[in-house]
Amino acid sequence: MRNSIILFVNGEREELSPENSFMTVAEYLRYKKGLTGTKVVCSEGDCGACTILVSRMREGKLGPYKSINSCISFMYLLDQSHLITVEGLKKNNELHPVQKAMVENQGAQCGFCTPGFICAMASLTEDAKKEKFPLEEKRVKNYLTGNLCRCTGYDSIIKSGCSVQLNTVPELASFYDDAKIEKDLATLKGSVRITHGNNSVFLPASVDEAVLEKKDKSPRLAGGATDLGVVYNKGKLKLNDVMSLNNISSLYSVEETGTHLVVGARVSLDEVEKKTAKVFPDFSNNLHIFASPQIKNSGSLVGNLVNASPIADTIPFLRVAEAEVVLRSTSGERTLNVNTFIKGGYKELDMRADEIMTHIRLPKTKHSYKLYKVSSRRDLDISTVTMAVRYRLNGNVLEEFSLALGGVGPTVLRMNQIESKAIGQYFNQALFKRLATDVKASIKPLSDVRGSTDFRLTLCHNLMLKFCDEVMKENNISFQEISL
Amino acid sequence: MSVGKDIAHDSGIGHVTGESIFIDDRPEQRGELHVGLVLAPVACGEVTNIHTADALKHPDCMGVYTYKDFHHQKWGPIIHDQNFVCNPQINYMAEPVVIIASTRRESVEEIKRLIKLEVKEKSGIFTITDARKAESILSKASAPFIQGDVEEAFKKSKHVLEGHFACGGQEHFYMESQAAVAYPLEAGQIEVHSSSQHPSETQRVVAEALGLPLHHVVCVVKRMGGGFGGKESQGAPIAAYAALVAHKLKRPARLILTKDDDMKITGKRHPFEAEYKVSFDESGKISGLKVLLMSDGGAYADLSSSILERAMFHMDSAYFLENCHIDGVCYKTNNHSNTAFRGFGGPQGTMAMESIIEDIAQFLKKDATTIRQTNLYQGNNLRTPYGQILENNMLPDVMNKLLDTADYKARRKEIDEHNKKRSGTLRGLSVTATKFGIAFTARFLNQGNALVNLHLDGTLQVSTGATEMGQGVNTKIQQIVAHVLGVPSKDVQVMPTSTEKNHNTSPTAASSGADINGAAAKNAADMIKGRLTELAKKVFAGEPADAIKEYEIMKGELDSDIVFENGKVTQKSSGKEITLKDLIGKAYFNRISLGAYAFYKTPGLGFDKVTVKGKAFNYYTQGMALSEVSIDEYTGEMKVLRTDILMDLGRPINPGIDRGQVIGGFVQGMGWVTTESLYYDAKRNLVSHSPTTYKIPNVQDIPRTLNVDFIDNPDNDVNVYGSKAVGEPPLLLGVSVWTAVKNALSYRANGKNSKLKSPATQEEILMELERIR
Repeated sequence: MRNSIILFVNGEREELSPENSFMTVAEYLRYKKGLTGTKVVCSEGDCGACTILVSRMREGKLGPYKSINSCISFMYLLDQSHLITVEGLKKNNELHPVQKAMVENQGAQCGFCTPGFICAMASLTEDAKKEKFPLEEKRVKNYLTGNLCRCTGYDSIIKSGCSVQLNTVPELASFYDDAKIEKDLATLKGSVRITHGNNSVFLPASVDEAVLEKKDKSPRLAGGATDLGVVYNKGKLKLNDVMSLNNISSLYSVEETGTHLVVGARVSLDEVEKKTAKVFPDFSNNLHIFASPQIKNSGSLVGNLVNASPIADTIPFLRVAEAEVVLRSTSGERTLNVNTFIKGGYKELDMRADEIMTHIRLPKTKHSYKLYKVSSRRDLDISTVTMAVRYRLNGNVLEEFSLALGGVGPTVLRMNQIESKAIGQYFNQALFKRLATDVKASIKPLSDVRGSTDFRLTLCHNLMLKFCDEVMKENNISFQEISL
Repeated sequence: MSVGKDIAHDSGIGHVTGESIFIDDRPEQRGELHVGLVLAPVACGEVTNIHTADALKHPDCMGVYTYKDFHHQKWGPIIHDQNFVCNPQINYMAEPVVIIASTRRESVEEIKRLIKLEVKEKSGIFTITDARKAESILSKASAPFIQGDVEEAFKKSKHVLEGHFACGGQEHFYMESQAAVAYPLEAGQIEVHSSSQHPSETQRVVAEALGLPLHHVVCVVKRMGGGFGGKESQGAPIAAYAALVAHKLKRPARLILTKDDDMKITGKRHPFEAEYKVSFDESGKISGLKVLLMSDGGAYADLSSSILERAMFHMDSAYFLENCHIDGVCYKTNNHSNTAFRGFGGPQGTMAMESIIEDIAQFLKKDATTIRQTNLYQGNNLRTPYGQILENNMLPDVMNKLLDTADYKARRKEIDEHNKKRSGTLRGLSVTATKFGIAFTARFLNQGNALVNLHLDGTLQVSTGATEMGQGVNTKIQQIVAHVLGVPSKDVQVMPTSTEKNHNTSPTAASSGADINGAAAKNAADMIKGRLTELAKKVFAGEPADAIKEYEIMKGELDSDIVFENGKVTQKSSGKEITLKDLIGKAYFNRISLGAYAFYKTPGLGFDKVTVKGKAFNYYTQGMALSEVSIDEYTGEMKVLRTDILMDLGRPINPGIDRGQVIGGFVQGMGWVTTESLYYDAKRNLVSHSPTTYKIPNVQDIPRTLNVDFIDNPDNDVNVYGSKAVGEPPLLLGVSVWTAVKNALSYRANGKNSKLKSPATQEEILMELERIR
């Protein structure tokens, strides 16, 4: 068993001391490596100033370079990776084309957010080159959704991104000797355990090792740490005993069977967005405004579900889609419907302390979906209210109807009673006006920073009407005027 | 020629490579300490006991300090009424109480938690309404601005409308939170590196906190990761905390606030309310306006009185008020001490006026744009409520050109049609103005000094009191000095701002950084150029200089016959030329000074604070914006579809940088009036204290289409190289997004008055829609 974290930073090999292994990535880079280009502003993955690029070893190869928020990630989570920081993008005294473009287009004012934007933009040009898409405004914006700037108003930054000539952009793999890095990292086999003071982390190499550890010590699981990193930084949580599944290759795959799409525990939300585009286009689209690229590159679908927040953006979909979860322990495997897995209370799940979730299975069916997310700001914001509907029309009759609401109770709610009132009814505005009123009467949302009780009630009411009008329009069911 | 060119920001390459150094990027020195602040757990009350024993036992804890450790216990930019730390009164939630010093960054939070505070809580005042009831006043306007006879106008007018306007505060959200590092020097002296817009104030506050004379304190500012007014006054106590630790323990000390603590501790843009009565005729021509502006100053005076004054100065927005009575009062509450924020009250005054115009339009069922055209400063109607006459007024030209190029009429028609058919989306369109007065309203602040050193290789170092926070003031100064001496701008290096090179500097604020410091730098460069001009004349005339006789140059004077360009000095009349480098060599060997220190004060200001009449401003920066929004009627979700901005910036020194200021200011203003909502719980904890809950605009929020243009104004000659200040004025244009929302809602108002508040969050919009529906 290895007892140190090994990775590369800007092409240089690092074998971390136990102490350094427990640092956040941003702290390590800034205070141990002196790479102060990586900035920390919010310490919660919401501003992107700490963005770096990471390529992780998978099956003996370095994977694609993806942007992540280094302030909420831990060094131990990046074992067997290659990190490129803003400093590393300038090679042999030559600026990276995105750096040049940002200088020429006045893309930097105060400069504090700039390194994060540079890394996010380098991720854009890297993907654009590989996936062969043009650097048009919409793409540029999508890659910069996770970066806040208070000076420029973004216009000059967008122009910088659009002005880059892709043929001048070198692939990141060519920046440093990736083949050599791969060769080195490929020699690392087996699991890793590190302890320092009160802290310990275990990185199993297989699910079997993971479930054994879970049974013996019941450590906390950290994957992308997009939530754990935040609560840790804000002093609300100590992370003493941690296990990460990051080194288990088999959990990184999405498999399509005849009946299901099976998503492994370590599949990032970014990959889920891509892999569900054909089978669940509405869900894939919904993930589009879910969080930032940096968060989607780190966070996983399993993580979002197990974290079980009442405002988790994927859970309403998972509930109406009748997703199944696969739980593993030393005593075997359980597969549960997500609607029984999620119990009524706040973060209350049918999951034992010795279990880990290895997969989510999405059943492929011929239903239609509509997914809504309402937040103070459209992108990169935590939801005020979410709503997911799965339905099937037979002519004008609503044959099937499943409804889930988030942000209005201690957990994401499946609205069974509303569903039974709707099923078998003619699809018309009168029905949904009644249902909207019923929905309002059957929930008791709280008032908080994201919205008052009244606002949330009105939203749920109006989303029912919006759903109705949209479906009528799409199905050419004639109506006089909108339901409002 | 360097001035007028769109050269890159002087730190551009450093910024994109991550090599630019901010406070916390400075390498840790031997023995350096990390400073932390323990904050008050109640908004109003008293600290009755502080238990420090457990903290002091922590192996990394080197010191714990309270108010008793400060030489002077109070500070303040206008009056000294703010406690450095609670002494022991607590006047707002999260007010600093205790300062701790740790040998390790990682232990700071741990040590803070070991400090136990006992407090006695009292009930506090948190809103303007409550402060008004309690008559809890920080300051009042010295006198109202009165023009004509407003009561008479009300009597004679066909329509009189009364109303109320309210806008919220705004967090600066500079990316670099407040930060300082202090180094103890020999003999008790101290050097502070601070993220500050006002090094001289920081120097003074640190000196007073420690009981040092000013010449024993140096404050250095290399750059800030954003300021926006939030580091004009409120960076100073942060520097004082670090300096206190450094001074007491004789070790370097660093204090870097987390974003959360920064947002809780520091003040914000002032929330304002306005009560108004306005009279007008059938065309919407305003005959009288009486308004009382009320602001929430928070717990301490800070800059609140000046901010209230500037709100009053901008209550006219861009409209002639023949009869008016404008008064103001700033209330004392138990909130964080509100402070300068880009616009400095101007946005609140202007927004109140633009809101009134929308109300008049809704009342008359007329297009608000026509009402704006009717009331705009034009023709002979150029006198402001405080008696200053608008010179070189560009407003009518700006408005006509903007409405024309943005195709206003056709779009209005289209929106009227769209809103008639109820499709689930509602659109609105509105144009608003900025006519921002340029000068500190405190006259003495309109001064600056500069030091220019010319080196033997022909490169220059320039030092001024201006601080760089991203706005590009250093780049402009670089261009100005390069322009004077005819060298490439890369040969001019603007040095870190330091109180040992430039004394008694004014804050980099009031949009005047480049105006004042650029003019001072130009004066200094001109002095060197004058000497070199005289020397060049002697050289070209063949006057001898050798081991015995040297060139004697006295003051030296500029001469249009001697031209400095492209590294050469040419006599136009004779065609003779010499390289600048050779001329510099001759100057050095003939003992002619190649350095200059110069001073500048803004001429012609004369506002009488007693009569409240006169020339308050050197000039106005003007512009207008037209914004179109779309609202989802089901959810209240709002999108800005398009914004067109037209600004008068005179002759910009750097058009690219100015464009960045215009768009950045607009988007920041838009954030203030839309998504940026400060949310407090019942105990007055700021709940929205980080970007997860406090939503500044992100890249997807800016207008889908954004057109920005500058209007030609070759006639402007009041400022350095005919340029105009640009920092704050465009922020006011963000208001056009809010009035566009108000306009959209008016289509569903059914005769009900608008009660839309700012910020127009999604919740505010939806609930207002529900109310009027």
